[in-house]
Amino acid sequence: MELDSLKEIWREARVGDMADAPDALPGRESLLPLLQQRSRGPVARMRRNLRIELLCIIIAYVPLILFYLVEFQGRLRAISIVLFAVGALFCVYYYRKSRLLNNMQCLTCQVRSNLARQVGTLKKYTRFYLLASTIVIPAMAILTYVIFHLQLFYPGDGTVYHRLSPAPWWKNSTFWLLMLVPFTVVMYYFNAWYINKLYGRHIKKLQELLREMDEE
Amino acid sequence: MISTDQQEAFIRLVDQHRGILHKVCRLYCFTDTDRQDLFQEIVIQLWRSYPRFRGDAKFSTWLYRIALNTAISDLRKQRPPTTPTSPDQLPTELQDIQYSAEKEQQLQLLYTAINRLTEVEKALTMLYLEDKTYQEMEEILGITQNNLRVKMNRIKDKLRKMTKEATYGIG
Repeated sequence: MELDSLKEIWREARVGDMADAPDALPGRESLLPLLQQRSRGPVARMRRNLRIELLCIIIAYVPLILFYLVEFQGRLRAISIVLFAVGALFCVYYYRKSRLLNNMQCLTCQVRSNLARQVGTLKKYTRFYLLASTIVIPAMAILTYVIFHLQLFYPGDGTVYHRLSPAPWWKNSTFWLLMLVPFTVVMYYFNAWYINKLYGRHIKKLQELLREMDEE
Repeated sequence: MISTDQQEAFIRLVDQHRGILHKVCRLYCFTDTDRQDLFQEIVIQLWRSYPRFRGDAKFSTWLYRIALNTAISDLRKQRPPTTPTSPDQLPTELQDIQYSAEKEQQLQLLYTAINRLTEVEKALTMLYLEDKTYQEMEEILGITQNNLRVKMNRIKDKLRKMTKEATYGIG
């Protein structure tokens, strides 16, 4: 029997279209509650994870910023500034990721173009994720170095930093460099592995589907 | 803001095309739980996209795009396939249809064979069985008509070979 001859059997199984009165179909009421449900698709989950990330940053950073701003008569407010700057960087990170997620899929588009869009955007997303997660610590360290070395937001009491540590090791740029370079390299590879674990399989699968659609 | 009338119209439309959604879920998922999850996800995505539906395309084309896009790109870890679906495992609506025993068996065999195809091939086969023209298929999938013809011939051969091997009778 040919596939064409199975069309009839297939069409007979088309439940909804067979009904003359759609209202009489069973399960119509079951559709209504679904409209209130939240999506559990991959993009929705990524968006939810990003929101959780933002919430964690707010919960962790805001009290710390306030603490160093108010405590010790404001003498360690430089730490607040560093944390605030990193928090601001995170806002840029959040905004960029959020925009990429908004553009990640177009379900009303043709299947091929939606797949191409997903692959392209997901690659951008992971590249940005890798870049952001790798540079956050070096950026924080450089900022700390600049603030402390140039004595920005200086409390006016020359002894306060020295009281934290009698040897001003934080003024030594070689020390920062020696710490930062290997740390950044290790972080890069760790993040690359982690991001690949999170999204690698998904991207590969989407690419395979796209390739299959394109091949003649 | 979507009015109650629009909501009613949406439910009526989706309900009319419920059969298509069931078939998509049936083709892309192996277990009832996964099918229910996918059905729910497709309805949610349809509802979210509905305010932007202007009727430029046929509702069924629009619905196929969303359903297939959701099914194909939803790469959740699927539960392993269970034994081939027996007639009493069919959705209630399908059970109500009085098929002849032979037709029922053929439908089961068809589903079993299609389940062994890739995601893209499943989409093509489904649209073909739904009697969509190559132009409509192109509008839904975004694959050129020439490429679709080539692919469809390959799928037919594949299904024929598969069913011949399993002595399913298609071929």
